[in-house]
Amino acid sequence: MSVDEDWTQLRTLLLSPEQTQLDELRDRLDNRAVQPRDVSRVLPEAFAVRGERDPQLATVLTPYVENGFVATIRKSPRAIVDAIAPIMGPAIRQAIARALQGMTQSFNHSLDESLSVRGLRWRLEAWRTGRPFAEVVLLHTLRYRVEQVFLIHRETGLLLHHVGAEGAVVQDQQVLSGMLTAIQSYVRDSFGASPDQTLDHFRVGEWTVWIEQGSHAYLAGVVRGTPPETLREDFQAALDDIHAQQPDALTHFDGDAAPFKATQTCLENCLHAHYEPPPRPSALKLWILGGAMILLLSWWGVMAYQTHARWSNLLVELGTEPGMVVTVAKSTLTGYHLEGLRDPLAKDPSAMVVEAGLEPSSIKAVWSPYYSLDPQLVETRAHSMLHAPTTVKLSVEGDTLVATGSASTEWARETRRLASLVPGISIYRDEGLVTTSIPDLLERINRTVVRFRSGSSIVEPSERAALGAGSMALRELDQAVSQSGQRVRLEVLGSTDDTGSVTRNIQLSKERAHVVLVALGGDQLGEATTVIAGLAQSTDQRGSTGEARDRRIVTLRATLTVANRGNEAARP
Amino acid sequence: MMQKKVCMLGGFAVGKTSLVRRFVSNVFSDHYHTTIGVTVEKKSVTVDDRDVMLVLWDLYGEDEFQRVRDSYLRGSSGYILVMDGTRRATLDAAFALQQTALQTVGTVPFISIINKADVRSEWEIDERTIEQLRERGWTVLFGSAKLGQGVEELFVTLATQIVHAAPIPRDCL
Ligand SMILES: Nc1nc2c(ncn2[C@@H]2O[C@H](COP(=O)(O)OP(=O)(O)OP(=O)(O)O)[C@@H](O)[C@H]2O)c(=O)[nH]1
Ligand SMILES: [Mg+2]
Repeated sequence: MSVDEDWTQLRTLLLSPEQTQLDELRDRLDNRAVQPRDVSRVLPEAFAVRGERDPQLATVLTPYVENGFVATIRKSPRAIVDAIAPIMGPAIRQAIARALQGMTQSFNHSLDESLSVRGLRWRLEAWRTGRPFAEVVLLHTLRYRVEQVFLIHRETGLLLHHVGAEGAVVQDQQVLSGMLTAIQSYVRDSFGASPDQTLDHFRVGEWTVWIEQGSHAYLAGVVRGTPPETLREDFQAALDDIHAQQPDALTHFDGDAAPFKATQTCLENCLHAHYEPPPRPSALKLWILGGAMILLLSWWGVMAYQTHARWSNLLVELGTEPGMVVTVAKSTLTGYHLEGLRDPLAKDPSAMVVEAGLEPSSIKAVWSPYYSLDPQLVETRAHSMLHAPTTVKLSVEGDTLVATGSASTEWARETRRLASLVPGISIYRDEGLVTTSIPDLLERINRTVVRFRSGSSIVEPSERAALGAGSMALRELDQAVSQSGQRVRLEVLGSTDDTGSVTRNIQLSKERAHVVLVALGGDQLGEATTVIAGLAQSTDQRGSTGEARDRRIVTLRATLTVANRGNEAARP
Repeated sequence: MMQKKVCMLGGFAVGKTSLVRRFVSNVFSDHYHTTIGVTVEKKSVTVDDRDVMLVLWDLYGEDEFQRVRDSYLRGSSGYILVMDGTRRATLDAAFALQQTALQTVGTVPFISIINKADVRSEWEIDERTIEQLRERGWTVLFGSAKLGQGVEELFVTLATQIVHAAPIPRDCL
């Protein structure tokens, strides 16, 4: 064994532990890279120290954190959702609550448009009670609405915080809190209940007050309508949250409610509301209703159009009808109204209404009488006022009345006096009128002699002229007399010569009288004439003397009598 | 705002409701409507430049038929013992009620008031008795709900005592 070897051995024995350390140190000095293990020891403190100094750390880390976050969401979204659900839940619920409140408004709009019976009834109710329409709708469609939530300190009955739904009546909150607390004590004392038996709800009018107990505070919800039992769970959850968030403030409450402002969101989440949407009228019903309305409307339209057309026609006809002037023509609610002037001689307007196809009762007409200057009416008026005989023809030319034909001198005289009094007539002309006087006519008639051949009762052609003249005079007389209210008595007298037997002669006389009567058209004479056919007296002036041929005759004897009904019986 | 619960205690018809109404809405009525259960009222007063809302629990008056239940007293920051100077018996009721209060809410501030000072001549409670009360450590005030005498003072004094008795709030440290 060499000395060197021994020396080395000794050195190893003596310095072995230090040697290892030395090796390690040299190793570290040679290899100056940082060891993760070393870093891990100081990392948290390092972060803290650096983070306090400047924001560099955050800036550097942000992109990595972001990337990592995105990657995580991609990889396991579930975990993120689970993590943020507790934050999002309340926010979403609050948004929904707001939306529900907004619904009141949209109800109003939809109901404004809908014509449902219910909508109308509610409008009536709103009008009657003086409440806003929206409130009435709310009351009817509301299942329940948590209108106010009170967070109340249990021991003191003091109000910690209060939230109210939009538009809900907020009473004196502090007083109400005290009363709510007092009521609970009162009820508990009165029924001798143990402290853990509590009043959990009571009704006041249309409201229910729901009370949910917590260890230090309780929650009272003022609810309109009938809430579901699940609402209680929400109350309890909110209360638990509050107790968890504010343990100190609750245990050491000394009347300072300021810290409880933080419970606002929690309490607002309890302001649930649930509405029943108003039922929409079924589409089919609407269609049928609409269809019926359209049918009705069009039927009404057609009827109205027809009636109106008839009315217009009637107005045109009334306008062209002589003797009628329409001054007012209008349609009213119940029908039509007419006003105008009407000549009494004009056509009957109600007959015209019927002719036009209109219901007479639907037209109310007021006619004022007047004299029309229409020539046709003036002529008719002149005829009726002047009692013109049929032998006279009256015609109107402008304001001139012209008489032609023949008439008695009396009528002619009378007419000259009266004609200008006829409305519409100012001038009267009768140059074309032939006049005869009654005595003349009587004379002309009585002059008539119809001769016969011996033993014959046939009118000879030679006698026709005489007969014609007599007949003409007779007719004129009839006319003339009918004006003066007198009557004519006409005797047709037949006679014979002395030849032949008396019986035969009487027979012949009668036959001759009869023939002449027929030839005169006796049965066609006017009313004013009574005709008698008979025998001439033997003492007849014309036949008593002279030749035999002068005695085979028929003579006429016309006399005037005063009109007397009794005489009519004498007509053949 | 700081809220404090205060109970009105005393025998029947001593004028608890009258004092509260005079204080809260400054009205007085000669008619007597006995309080059934509790009526809560509130009014804020200013103590050391800070507003304090007093939530007043006006309890029914105690008599031989009705004891005041301690459940109403719980949580009170102070209380007022009302006596009717014209009836000595209301003093005994006040004693009894003070005991109940002490047991329920402990040593919180309280003030006693002998009401109906407007009819002092008819008083049955004499000076000596009042002196004894003071010796016991009671604050004894005189007042008249009818005239409004001593009413404001009554409530403000109590509010001040309550605020001073309470540990100073943290945010003022
Ligand atoms: N003269 C006079 N009468 C008073 C005064 N205060 C109260 N009263 C009358 O005393 C009666 C009782 O008053 P309340 O205030 O109702 O008494 P209370 O203590 O509330 O009575 P309970 O509620 O029944 O316990 C009423 O008729 C009041 O008008 C006062 O200061 N002077
Ligand atoms: Mg009272």
